[in-house]
Amino acid sequence: MEVVHNKDTQTQSPTTKPSKSLSPWAMARRKFMRNKLAMISLVYLIILSILSFLAPFITTADVTLVNIGQMSLAPSAEHWFGTDTSGRDVFTRLLYGGRVSLFVGLSCTTIILFIGTLVGSIAGYFGGTVDNLLMRFTDFMLNFPFLVFVIVLNAILFGIVSGLWVLIGVLSILGWGGVARLVRSKILAEKENEYILAAISIGCKPSKVIMKHLLPNVLTTVIVQATILFAGMIVAESGLSYLGFGVPQEVPSWGNMLSASQQPNVLQNMPWVWVPPALILIMTILSINFIGEGIKEALNPKSFR
Amino acid sequence: MLKYALRRILGMIPMLLLISIVAFFLALAMPGDSFSGEIDPNNTDPEYIEEMREKLGYNDPIHEQYFRWVSNFVQGDFGKSTKYQIPVKDLILQRLPNTVMLGVMAMFFTYIFAFSMGIYAGRHPHTKMDHFIGGFNYFLLAIPSYIAGVFAIYFFSFQLGWVPFSGSVDIAVESGTLDYWLSRFYHALMPSLILGALGTATYTQFLRNDIIDNSQKDYVRTARAKGTADSKIYNSHILRNSIIPIVTFLGFDIVQIVNGALITEAIFTYPGLGQLFLTSVNAQDYPTLMTLFVMFSFLVLLGNLIADLLYGIVDPRIRVD
Repeated sequence: MEVVHNKDTQTQSPTTKPSKSLSPWAMARRKFMRNKLAMISLVYLIILSILSFLAPFITTADVTLVNIGQMSLAPSAEHWFGTDTSGRDVFTRLLYGGRVSLFVGLSCTTIILFIGTLVGSIAGYFGGTVDNLLMRFTDFMLNFPFLVFVIVLNAILFGIVSGLWVLIGVLSILGWGGVARLVRSKILAEKENEYILAAISIGCKPSKVIMKHLLPNVLTTVIVQATILFAGMIVAESGLSYLGFGVPQEVPSWGNMLSASQQPNVLQNMPWVWVPPALILIMTILSINFIGEGIKEALNPKSFR
Repeated sequence: MLKYALRRILGMIPMLLLISIVAFFLALAMPGDSFSGEIDPNNTDPEYIEEMREKLGYNDPIHEQYFRWVSNFVQGDFGKSTKYQIPVKDLILQRLPNTVMLGVMAMFFTYIFAFSMGIYAGRHPHTKMDHFIGGFNYFLLAIPSYIAGVFAIYFFSFQLGWVPFSGSVDIAVESGTLDYWLSRFYHALMPSLILGALGTATYTQFLRNDIIDNSQKDYVRTARAKGTADSKIYNSHILRNSIIPIVTFLGFDIVQIVNGALITEAIFTYPGLGQLFLTSVNAQDYPTLMTLFVMFSFLVLLGNLIADLLYGIVDPRIRVD
């Protein structure tokens, strides 16, 4: 690509400096960088992730430490966001909670994208019986009320698998249906193109056709879907934790912190316990949405900004 | 259309069977069993326990237990709640009116907000108000319902004292009177507003875009050339065409309300089916849990069916499959 391109420009005007046109990805990046809202969101998310993942170095307070002497303190210089009813520092828990919430969101998104893309591309590429079987199964998974199923499965697995992985596993196993459907429909449209016929006729294996030829062309859809999923999974995690069916109670997550607001006393008199996680959740979800919109806009060749 | 509808309804039967199997085995796989709720807790004599196990059929092979459960279920016998010690049927009938009221009110709010905002934005596209509505909806879509609920309780119940923050009715009022219904409406107001807000953004955006699309069509130009008033064009010509695709969302609304009721009812401790489900999971009340699981799944199935059938009515191409 590069070589041909250089030759072109040289033959056109050998004396002037060759003006190199941008690759599609560079064009998309430039469009994205110009999107102020998306860039602010991206910076916010990066700062948030760095703060959360460096939490042990930033705050010295112990997250799990229950301090009876310092229960329900209002924000002060020592405790920036005050302490909760068990005497735990809210700021520290917020950072550690971000770690858990972002981690759950990220891992669920990754696993869901993997399963969904795998099922969708196989069903779309092979068609026929394979497609029918896989899609019936997908329909079956999609026909359950998501939250209800997640809560029941979570209750079953709670004693068997420990910690965060229960929730990550359950959310991932039940969440891939939508992605599979989407990828399948995109692959179905894409495989009618002649270059796929050419690839098959020179003897490419199905795995190679899917990996090298089809997937790169549905990648943009998958990337946009990933941002929607990421936000959705963070909402699901914190919502379930709020209800008491998410990550274990002792693990700090934004949802678990919010669930303190179920006690009328905390809700009414101690807003510093539940307002910070609520605001940070809203801002995180908003910024992920803005980034998603930005990516969608940037990858759309029809839009010129 | 009849053939399409029949095929679609018959296609639900294997799905229902699968749902019942999944519900049964999920309940089986959960820790503990409902047995302990059905015997005298003070009698710990092993012989008595074994005798009761045999008598209540807990020693039968799994498939026999499954068939017994399904045949009872189909006949409307859902078993006895181990937590409340009353038949599950009665328990559900107690709670059902609350959830139905919540759902209907939520849909009502969704329609009112979505139609007023969508119609305005569609009629005045790219104005300041349109951008404001767009931004507001974007925000609405991003705020999870439980956060909105928590803030709503904090401001409207605690700070302003406008609405109650829990329950479905005042204990003091007598059932059947006007006060009683007002009190129920009052209690359901905030939860249904939160639940209704969930669907509003999608409706509004859809309606807006559809109205803008339609307003550039030929029939609108003809109407305008004839001298029809602008308000009449928008309110009767365009709106009639834009409402048709929206009708198909009705099925998905049911799905959304099933999922949303779970969280909304928990926030407002509103005694509906969603809250009953959560308590039954916590209390390991299996008869209730299985019944509700099947019921919710059936509702989702029904919602998807309604959506598909309405699609078929609106768009004849779908029927030929």
